[in-house]
Amino acid sequence: MTAAPFFEASGLCKSFFGVQVLHGMGFTLRPGQVLGLVGENGSGKSTTMNILGGVLPMDAGRMTLDGADYHPRGPREAEARGIAFIHQELNLFRNLSVAENLFITGFPKRIKGLPFIDRGRVAARTQELLKAVDLDIAPNTPVSRLSQGERQLVEIAKALGANARIMIFDEPTTSLTTRETDRLFDIIGRLQRQGIAIIYISHILGDVMRLCDDIVVLRDGHKVGQAARADMTIEKMITLMVGRTIDQMFPPREPPVTLGAPVLEVRGLNQRGMVKDIGFTLRAGEVLGISGLMGAGRSELARILFGMDPHESGDIRIGGTQVRELSPAACMDHGMAFLTEDRRAEGLMMEASIADNIALASLPKFGRSWAGFIERTRLGDEVQRISGAVRINARDIQRTLVKNLSGGNQQKAVIGKWLLHEPRVFILDEPTRGIDVGAKYEVYKIINQLAADGAGVLFISSEIEELTGMCDRIMVMAQGEIRAEFPRAGFDREAILRAAMWHGMKETA
Amino acid sequence: MSSTQSITPGSAAEATRPQRSFAVRLLMSEYLVLVLTAIYFLVMWALVPSIATADTLLDILAAMMPLLVVAIGQTFVLIVAGIDLAAPSILAAASVAGASMMTGEGGFALFTGVPIGVGILAFVGVGLLIGLLNGVCVTRLGMPPFIVTLTTMMFFSGFALFYTSALTDDGSSFGDLPSAFVAIGQGTWHGVPYSLALAGAVMLVAHLTLSRTVFGSWLYAIGRNPRAAAISGVPVRRAVLWAFVISGLCGGIASIIYTGRLETGTPVLGQRILLDIVGSAVIGGVSLFGGKGRVTWTLYGVLFLSVVDKGLQLLGLDLASVFAIKGLVILSAAVLDAVRHRLTLRG
Amino acid sequence: MSAVSAGGGNRSTTLFVLRNAPVLLFIVLLACFGLMSDRFLTVTNFVNIVIQAAHIGIIAIGMTFVLLIGGIDLSIGANMYIVAAVLGLFLKDLPLAISFPLVTLIGLAFGAVNAWFITRLRVAAFITTLSTLFIGRGIALYFSGNKMVGFSPEVLALGRASYFGVPSAIWGFAIVFIAAYVTLSQTTFGRQIYAVGADPDAAGKAGIDVRRIVFSVYCIAGVCAAIGGLISLSQVAVASSTFGFQKEFPVIAATVLGGTSLFGGRGGVLGTVFGAVLIQTVENGLVMTNADPYLYPLVISIIIFIAVFIDSSRNSILERLERRQIRVERV
Repeated sequence: MTAAPFFEASGLCKSFFGVQVLHGMGFTLRPGQVLGLVGENGSGKSTTMNILGGVLPMDAGRMTLDGADYHPRGPREAEARGIAFIHQELNLFRNLSVAENLFITGFPKRIKGLPFIDRGRVAARTQELLKAVDLDIAPNTPVSRLSQGERQLVEIAKALGANARIMIFDEPTTSLTTRETDRLFDIIGRLQRQGIAIIYISHILGDVMRLCDDIVVLRDGHKVGQAARADMTIEKMITLMVGRTIDQMFPPREPPVTLGAPVLEVRGLNQRGMVKDIGFTLRAGEVLGISGLMGAGRSELARILFGMDPHESGDIRIGGTQVRELSPAACMDHGMAFLTEDRRAEGLMMEASIADNIALASLPKFGRSWAGFIERTRLGDEVQRISGAVRINARDIQRTLVKNLSGGNQQKAVIGKWLLHEPRVFILDEPTRGIDVGAKYEVYKIINQLAADGAGVLFISSEIEELTGMCDRIMVMAQGEIRAEFPRAGFDREAILRAAMWHGMKETA
Repeated sequence: MSSTQSITPGSAAEATRPQRSFAVRLLMSEYLVLVLTAIYFLVMWALVPSIATADTLLDILAAMMPLLVVAIGQTFVLIVAGIDLAAPSILAAASVAGASMMTGEGGFALFTGVPIGVGILAFVGVGLLIGLLNGVCVTRLGMPPFIVTLTTMMFFSGFALFYTSALTDDGSSFGDLPSAFVAIGQGTWHGVPYSLALAGAVMLVAHLTLSRTVFGSWLYAIGRNPRAAAISGVPVRRAVLWAFVISGLCGGIASIIYTGRLETGTPVLGQRILLDIVGSAVIGGVSLFGGKGRVTWTLYGVLFLSVVDKGLQLLGLDLASVFAIKGLVILSAAVLDAVRHRLTLRG
Repeated sequence: MSAVSAGGGNRSTTLFVLRNAPVLLFIVLLACFGLMSDRFLTVTNFVNIVIQAAHIGIIAIGMTFVLLIGGIDLSIGANMYIVAAVLGLFLKDLPLAISFPLVTLIGLAFGAVNAWFITRLRVAAFITTLSTLFIGRGIALYFSGNKMVGFSPEVLALGRASYFGVPSAIWGFAIVFIAAYVTLSQTTFGRQIYAVGADPDAAGKAGIDVRRIVFSVYCIAGVCAAIGGLISLSQVAVASSTFGFQKEFPVIAATVLGGTSLFGGRGGVLGTVFGAVLIQTVENGLVMTNADPYLYPLVISIIIFIAVFIDSSRNSILERLERRQIRVERV
């Protein structure tokens, strides 16, 4: 089973603008091996993979494939040598069909020498590849109709079609449902048996432990540890990643002895095809978790509550007053804030400074006179205070653009934007997605502080550990309904999962 | 947690900034267009010394005012990632509607005794109405700005022609405008043209609105990320609507100055300046993709185009050469901007 | 909004109407003009409409390629004029079999210049083609001396000729359309155009040569502008100094009317042909019904407006109706 390594990288170095970001990284791959790559954001994982995938040239180091030198000059050469990159943001074209996506770089021709596409062969070959990843859809299905998980399988099929021998997965499960994740892991197992080597990058350390044969840990561009799965634990990985021991994943949370007044009351909320009969009460000082699988209606509920999507019936009270016409502005007037799951598309102005982003939701508060002249000094001071409070790591918040920040700092900027607005109800949809362990811990601390200051927090997450670590109470959603509710004393991972999979029991059992 | 701060082009750029050469810093400066204008001016001075006389300079200033006003309106729309192709038709429609109120050949408002007042209201009103129509179509009906304003441009240009043909004897223009009105475009006060004062006021108000008010910040936010803006409580639709209304209003005001200068209300007013309007804003550095732009930048762009035009005119070149050189100049400015953009990326 | 709450049967009717809205609008227009003029609904007249629509249609086909990658070409009118000026001033004595390909090459070169600035120097397409619009027309005006340009009698004869009973303009239109249609739907190049239009970054990462695609697309627009210009001048026999002036507007209108998005990745040349013919039909109908010529632009812009309005509201309603639902409601 343990074949000899066919790929070897050693001494990889890379600098940007005179700053070295990768210091002598190296590893080997055997056929059928799954290599886990973990590290905080900015630790050099992406740089390593971009060098491997031909996106970036290396400054120093050596890579060999089958004993021959491997120095890709571009993604095409990497692909030709059998290295495929399954990107975090899937690179499929929504306006084309599945088959067209698989062959976009070179369709089989009907007649050699003429440019006409042989649609028949395209369809047949697509069928074959889709079968290899267990995807039962027609080759001419438009990609826009596929779910995230299905799109990922199409990407894998594409890599198979290119005869990939090394497949790189970058955070593949962040937007998958539990069932889709299981399916992905099955497929990865199958690829492994076919002798394909896999590099698996993820922040979800449990998945890494479950899937990988060997694990490499990176910190600040250095390889700080490598071990077989048997010799590795999650705690050890975290210690290596952050360079210090983290005693706890979560800051201590002391549930309030007495809860405050209700800050958000929802009764009989309905929207056809989305949510049904939602009712709950969130009190001041409480952190209420919403668990459930992807597509259970959690984000949809949040969007309705914040007035972004319509609802047909229901009674919603924010801070005791009934709000009839829901809109983001109306909800904000009543002290509500909403951190969406997609911070790039909905949370931030990537091309604007940190300060501009933090100020965005609170501008009217700083407007003076009928013309709304902004009190710039006061705004500047407040933004500076907030940025310090959420500990954004940047030299000059007035000039640093948000797009140049790490995921964790970006998320802190979004949180800062809402803190400046001083919310009494804060809906957080996947606040720690795609950010590293250290930043997660800081986000948790901010949430605790918010609750301690008397705000009600609605915490939506796919990670059950996170919810059990942070919440006073957890509601479980499935199929757009609330299926179960657990008080802190009764938190039980198994029971929560069971409630979430209420519908899908038969298939997953 | 310093390790979470990723190494980025931005932060590295900050570190290396002081080492940059003067040439690179000049290229990166927001005053680049101004510098180019100055260089062009100096070259022209050597070729045609008369460009540096007070008369010519004042002439350039007076001639650029209406373009400046309408380009400022365009800047508002460009900042929210829209475009207002209807601007020339606003100029034309306002011109004929306003002029028809006060022409000595039987203006509709002569009986009121204050035809100029009604006329000016008509200019502004037509501008506001067309702007409002554009804004409603974009924000309420969800149609793309490019196509909405392309069709309103066709419609109101056609309307201006139709209106003029139906109401005038020669079918081409409304002449015989009151001298007090003509003075807005041509008159001076102690040597300062009224039009300069009017455009200056528009510029000041526009500049303060964009740079100092909540509304201005909202416009930039919408241009940068409309979804994030909406979720942050920005009244996106209302603000975009206002951007188009402001563009229409500026068109109306610009039309007053143009019509006064020409002494006639004509449906072909502004027929060929659409590309000058958008071009001057873009040359000044306003982004066609939204979120980036300043009134002062638009001013630089307008100044640049106006000086280029005047220089070519003074050289006594024919229409063909003026066209070709103007195109070359715009293209060179754009190439410089592209080089500059790449330098930013490289840090 | 009401469509969502409508029942099942109602809903499919709504969907049908929405999906076929432009065609229905076309039929309504035909009926209106047909009732107002008995000369309108005749084969001869329809052939006339297509002949008159040919030059805009061909240029709009080129524009479709450009819009599909999310670009724009404002310089096509100048390109047309250069082609006319060169043909009339310098190549008058050459046989058409030589002069036409030569000026088409000039159109190609013009497109290549645009493409070079856009792909190599990364100047925005809008501003590049805005500049070349001025430069191109300026250079051509310099040669023509701002005067009318005449052509050899063969040019006019070609414009009036028919082959196998089909007028030359329609041949030209049909050949360009079929070539464009096959290219877009049946070749790797064509499918890559859609990919680049949907997401240029992803296309680059997938290994598509984005620059080559963008470059080719502007060249195609240049060639189409030249061919469209030739067909137009074969119909009018002389070119004034405003030949092709501001043609970019009706061309873009026809393309967008045909359902091609200004943001890239969506649309096709079949719709463009339809858009060009629709605009010409309206103009022709107005002539047939003896409408005041000053009203033409008003009516045409209203029709375009309605068509685009239907298209955009259709898209938003369709999106809402086809939205993924997370609950299966059992009634």
